[in-house]
Amino acid sequence: MALAMLGPEVSWYLGVAAFLFATGAFGVLIRRSPLIVLLSLEIMLNGGNLALIAFSRHYGHGDGQIFAISVMAVAASEVVVGLGLIVAMSRKRIALDVDKLNVLRG
Amino acid sequence: MIWGAWLCLVSPLAAAALITLGGNRLSRRGAGYLATFATFVAFVGAVISFATLLSHDGGDRSHVSTAWTWIGAGSYHSGFSILVDPLSVMMMLIVSGVGSLIVGYSIGYMDGDDEERRYFAYMALFVFSMLLLVQGGNLVLLLAGWGMVGLSSYLLIGFWHERPSAVAAAKKAFVMNAIGDATMALALFLLIQKTGSLDFGDVFARQGFLGGWAINLIALGLLGGAVAKSAQLPLQTWLPDAMEGPTPVSALIHAATMVTAGVYLIVRTHPIFEQAPKIEDLAAGLGAATLLMAGLIALVQTDIKRVIAYSTMSQIGYMFLGAGLGAYANGMFHLMTHAFFKALLFMAAGIVIHALAGEQDIRKMGGLGKLMPFTRWCFLIGSLALVGIFPFAGFFSKDSILAAAMDRGWYGYVLWAAGLAGTLLTGLYTFRMYFVVFGGDRSAFVREHFHHGEGHGEGPFSMTATVAILAALALVGGWIQWAPLWHPVTTWLDPVARPIVEPANWMEWTSSGVALALGLVGILLARAFYGVPVRRRRPVPRVAAVQRALEHKLYFDEAYDLAFYRPAVAVAHALGRFLERPLILRTSGEVAEGSVDVARGFSRLQTGLVRTYALAIASSLAVIAVVFVAVR
Repeated sequence: MALAMLGPEVSWYLGVAAFLFATGAFGVLIRRSPLIVLLSLEIMLNGGNLALIAFSRHYGHGDGQIFAISVMAVAASEVVVGLGLIVAMSRKRIALDVDKLNVLRG
Repeated sequence: MIWGAWLCLVSPLAAAALITLGGNRLSRRGAGYLATFATFVAFVGAVISFATLLSHDGGDRSHVSTAWTWIGAGSYHSGFSILVDPLSVMMMLIVSGVGSLIVGYSIGYMDGDDEERRYFAYMALFVFSMLLLVQGGNLVLLLAGWGMVGLSSYLLIGFWHERPSAVAAAKKAFVMNAIGDATMALALFLLIQKTGSLDFGDVFARQGFLGGWAINLIALGLLGGAVAKSAQLPLQTWLPDAMEGPTPVSALIHAATMVTAGVYLIVRTHPIFEQAPKIEDLAAGLGAATLLMAGLIALVQTDIKRVIAYSTMSQIGYMFLGAGLGAYANGMFHLMTHAFFKALLFMAAGIVIHALAGEQDIRKMGGLGKLMPFTRWCFLIGSLALVGIFPFAGFFSKDSILAAAMDRGWYGYVLWAAGLAGTLLTGLYTFRMYFVVFGGDRSAFVREHFHHGEGHGEGPFSMTATVAILAALALVGGWIQWAPLWHPVTTWLDPVARPIVEPANWMEWTSSGVALALGLVGILLARAFYGVPVRRRRPVPRVAAVQRALEHKLYFDEAYDLAFYRPAVAVAHALGRFLERPLILRTSGEVAEGSVDVARGFSRLQTGLVRTYALAIASSLAVIAVVFVAVR
């Protein structure tokens, strides 16, 4: 409880987290370059991380921090796969534009 | 030692699995040897169990061994357990002993068949199923074995699957047996509901609390199963057709073991039947009716295997008579001697069929006695045992069943008379067959087709040796018990199934005397008509209508056809015409087109753009979140 007294209220942190998340989501939805989409995804994940850590601090509980670390590990692996895909695409000379990848259209 | 019983149960299953999995790696001959060896090991296991029980006192001869809990549902439990007691050990000895002889005989009989391995795998599976049936420690396992012997019987009747008649016969046997399985399953459900258990001990201890109608229904359901499996009236029509299978199959399944399972069931569950005396009387009455009917039909059959099949039906009628009257040990003793002499008859007939290139019509046979002296003597021993002539096996076992009938009031005397009439018929039809096949001169067909195989023309060693052993058993097997003088079988079975009738010695002697005399009269009548050369045979007095009725097996097939098959076909046609064609066939195309149109509309939603999907997910989540917050 003593920790929670230091620094701003948890709602401030949540506000920043929500802002980061919204920014990332917006980026994912409107950007065409797969690189930027990946980047935006990272921002979304880190928004989530921030919320986790804020709650962890608010409740004086370590679980959220552990969870954030797991998210980072997952994010790192996800980036590896994503970047690998992008490299493979550029090697095959496929245009780096997510709008052109619409094979699944009904 | 309980492991003897487990060995007995598991070894045929292991053989079946090995032959099936071994496939081509196992030679055909090897499959036969393996199956024979495994059934013989089972016999050794049965002998070990027998010896173990002998070393215990009479009161301490019932042992249950549970491998694991097989079914647990709420308060109901039943284990995979086997019961070793005098009754099951007696059945184990018969099944594995006669079984190993017959499987050994098959090595010679099936030699050169295309699918010998499949045959021996089925045979081993059958022996396992039958042992499961008799060793099962509760009614669930008994029912499991019951179903599995039905399956093996189906597989073996239809073994020659390129013959349409064999396939049809297999289906018929399966369907008829399914009726019995169903009534039996219903009886077991009722037992679970009323007593909460299917273990023999618990059920018999608690059945005193059952109401009158419940116990009658349970006994009736069990009787239904017994009647179907043992080919008694009114579910008897499958057995003659089952002769489509190879002859050793007929000997093992449709004479010596499986068809007698009904008798075993009645004896095993006799405390239930004793609470329902009306059903018990019904069982005895059905047995008597069947033995008369089968004896009459056997008089006019011309297929050697069918004649023996009808005599099987008739002898099982005697066993039902005994079991229904409460003379359990007598019924079981007849089951044992019948296994010996009926397997002997079938296998001797198999040698004849083998030598005549597959011909089974006795009208084409004749004069085989001089060509096949060994077979002729064995067949004669089997026939005398079947008719019950002193000192052959049937004499000792059949007559004491008849004596038991005398101890049961006027109803018993009616059954007694039926049984005696059956003896006369047995003598007639058995020796008609014997004289036609072995007596007289060689028929044209025999002269043309009789082929001298290796050795002395009576089949390979595996066939003659096993037939000789069974002939010896049919000769001396009955001496184990001579009811008025000594009765070890009754004493042995006493702890499990105490008889409820005790015929006096004068009844035994009277029944024996009258039955023996009637059997001899039957034989002499048959000899008068058929024991002379074909040219001098007098025409047999016959009534055309009766003969036709008997040749049609009293029209049971036709009646069932009319009562069940035709209505079912008519209903199916009507449904097809008025329901399927207008409702389903016409509309289904339109339904399909409609759904394709709808699907095409929905497929527009799939843009192929990841961001649309992401937006859909995000906005749905947002909506859910808002709803969640608002509702809270």
